[in-house]
Amino acid sequence: MNNLRKYFALASVALLIVLAVSPLKDYFSEWRSYQHQYNALIETLPQRVKPVPIGIKQQWVQKFDRVDRCETCHLGISEPALKNAKEPFTTHPNIYHDIDEFGCTVCHDGQGAATEYKESIGKVKFWESPIFPRDFMEASCAKCHKEQNVPEAPILNEGRALIEHSNCVGCHKIDGYDKQWVPRLDGIGSKVNRTWLVNWLKNPKAYFPQTRMPNFLLSDDEANNLADFLMTFTTPPPTAVMEKLPAQLTSASSDAKAKMIALGSTKFSEARCISCHMINGRGGYVANDLGKVASKVNEAWLYNYIAHPKQLSPDVEMPRFRFTKNDLADVVAYMEDQFVDYDAPQPPPYTPDPAAYEKGLATYKKYNCAGCHQLSAVPKAEEMGPELTYVGSKKVYEIDFGSTTIDQNLPSYLKTKLLTPRVFTPAMKMPDFGFTDEQARAVTVALLGNTDEKIPAAYIVHPKPKSTFMPQGDFGKLVKSLSCMSCHVMNGNGRLVATDLSMEASEAQEKWIEGYFKVPYSLRPILTERMPNFFLSDAEIKTITGYMEKVFVVDSIAHDVKITPAAIANGKGLFFEKYGCQSCHQVGGKGGYVGPPLDKLGTRLTQGWIFHWLKDPEAYRPNSIQPDYKLTDEDAEALTAYLMSLK
Amino acid sequence: MKKAFEKLFRTQVWRSIFRHGLPLSNRTRAEAVFYNFFLHVHPTKVRKRSVKFTYTWGLGGLSLGLFIVLVFTGGLLMLYYRPSVAQAYWDMKDLQFVVSNGRFLRNMHRWAAHAMVAIVFLHMMRVFYTGSYRPPKEFNWVIGVFLLVTTILLSYTGYLLPWDQLSFWGISVGTNMVRAVPFGFGDTISYLLLGGTMVGENALVRFYVLHCFIIPVAAVVLMAIHFWRVRKDGGV
Repeated sequence: MNNLRKYFALASVALLIVLAVSPLKDYFSEWRSYQHQYNALIETLPQRVKPVPIGIKQQWVQKFDRVDRCETCHLGISEPALKNAKEPFTTHPNIYHDIDEFGCTVCHDGQGAATEYKESIGKVKFWESPIFPRDFMEASCAKCHKEQNVPEAPILNEGRALIEHSNCVGCHKIDGYDKQWVPRLDGIGSKVNRTWLVNWLKNPKAYFPQTRMPNFLLSDDEANNLADFLMTFTTPPPTAVMEKLPAQLTSASSDAKAKMIALGSTKFSEARCISCHMINGRGGYVANDLGKVASKVNEAWLYNYIAHPKQLSPDVEMPRFRFTKNDLADVVAYMEDQFVDYDAPQPPPYTPDPAAYEKGLATYKKYNCAGCHQLSAVPKAEEMGPELTYVGSKKVYEIDFGSTTIDQNLPSYLKTKLLTPRVFTPAMKMPDFGFTDEQARAVTVALLGNTDEKIPAAYIVHPKPKSTFMPQGDFGKLVKSLSCMSCHVMNGNGRLVATDLSMEASEAQEKWIEGYFKVPYSLRPILTERMPNFFLSDAEIKTITGYMEKVFVVDSIAHDVKITPAAIANGKGLFFEKYGCQSCHQVGGKGGYVGPPLDKLGTRLTQGWIFHWLKDPEAYRPNSIQPDYKLTDEDAEALTAYLMSLK
Repeated sequence: MKKAFEKLFRTQVWRSIFRHGLPLSNRTRAEAVFYNFFLHVHPTKVRKRSVKFTYTWGLGGLSLGLFIVLVFTGGLLMLYYRPSVAQAYWDMKDLQFVVSNGRFLRNMHRWAAHAMVAIVFLHMMRVFYTGSYRPPKEFNWVIGVFLLVTTILLSYTGYLLPWDQLSFWGISVGTNMVRAVPFGFGDTISYLLLGGTMVGENALVRFYVLHCFIIPVAAVVLMAIHFWRVRKDGGV
């Protein structure tokens, strides 16, 4: 009996001890110790920082339906005095959103409800979204920010631009991206030579490093057969009218040829071809490199293409220059003479295969060439890659890492795939885009942002609806033929390489516009001259100015300024003395080089434009460096009077 | 001291609860047992061998003890848990991370539940191997079988409540198995359990009510009969 009592007593004590474990664990919890450490730390700071009362701190982020307890330990997030403190107390760098409104896990992922380090970063069993890797942080912006240019997210913006530029949508369905124009392949057999084509297929970037075309890592046989297959498509598009080469190109004496080449060289630079084209890596970035073009295309094709670009290659951006037949022959002669590839690589060994057509067609289909290129023989892309609209929500267990030893998570998978596309399984068909490490990271960031997370509609920033403005009539035909919108914006539509023309007739005087089309010149001496000379006829120029004067007008810009000698003198004083405009602008050969020279401004701009521009430059060009002096109407009118007097 | 007690024994409150005097005579000693709810189920006599520990291994008592632990911890868990699709999982996370001793409560509840299933089963095995189901105890054996079923049902209904993947698919599989019941009853029973055709909000509420009210009440009623019979048949 006595023994039983002893056992009972022992068991009772043991039970008490066991029952004490849980409250003790609660009391000596990790977060409590961090809060004590924080309160000790702030004592050592020179600034006065409020100590925290011990207890769990949480944010109820009502709109995103979550509770975040990160601030239980991350106590210095909004306390600038802790900028140099160690984690978990350091200040949050650049906060673009109110933490109380957005919480932490909306961007960072991890387990917001947790109050222990290991659980909170979510690298535990059964938690599907562990803390977001810092290198790819900007992907979180993309969950809500669907607009083109996300503020403060340069990597994301670069990634999205790369996805669009690389034409990923050719093979992958991704919402929100447009397919880029790629030349159609009908007629390629009468355009390029076979040697060039094989080399190109083997490695496009060897010929033109900036090309969009990726490297499909074809074997020699695949490249040979594909080239043979493509060379059978010799019929140009039905829109094309192929003229014979003029006699002087085919049968001129060497003296005459040299003269033609010299004349062609002049025309080539007068037309400013290099505004858009590169010559061996130097020049514009809008079109492809012409440095070796004579070794790529045949002479007859080149002649007819420059004569009527859009007939041979529908929808190409190349404008139709109004060359005379002789000028055109000169330009072609010059290009044929100059732009030869002397270091073309030896094409791979080749023995014609009787089944080349079938094998080439199979290769064409296998690598989904039809995803980007049009070809009458294969009208529809059949071998599409997986859809990427929600790729950011892909779970780790859905990924095949093959025999690689990379980190087993989605970001490292995507980045590795972009850099070495076939590394996971040899059966993969994705080509090599030649991305740098930084570019691959940017594309990964943009892809990771494509999640299927449910975000309240009010928080999603949609892209601005794209303008569909397209001038019609005679002017519209000219705009198409000259591809004005490849460099200029009109009412929101077009690519902004040069200027926005939407208010052109309210900005510049009609006479000046007319003269500009006859001999385009650059307004700013520090920039290279870019506007090509299309050699337009007087009637065409009249059509352009006539349309601009009617449509590209903003009535509110009109402003009548009385130009009296007194006003001019007053304005001159303001110009040189009060505002010191000459520090950036040249007048009469003196002044700075930052802004455009202002000589002859009175013959170029309208007085209304000058007045409004001086009053509020950012209203018209948001990125302009012209300072806003908050001028009074009197000062602005006086300066306008002075500037209009510069003729 | 003695006087104070005597005064207490004479108060109306005391006399209304204990209607007999102090157990000093045989009569009052017998009355103390007869008039007490907890003591009156005692058998008139207990065989010595049935008190021996190695005969029963105390498995029935252990089951009751675990049931009490489960009612106690379960009642406390009910203070924090809401059976709704939007909140159930997060309430469980709150128990894990912010409720004082919440993790202890939940773990106690879970382990006690596992242990109860095992012990009740062992208890049945013991009864079987000692032949304790034989007349006149056949009825109590049947009650015991029902108690095993309630134990397993309590365990199963509790499985859905954390509302995670494991519970969702566990109950999906289980209720799909129910649909295999023949004569067209399967679909009806499954529909009745889930309040629909798939595991969702209705199923969660139904399982919650089953787990916290209907089945425990049934278990308590069955246990009352079970214990009363055990006592009357000469068990502990």
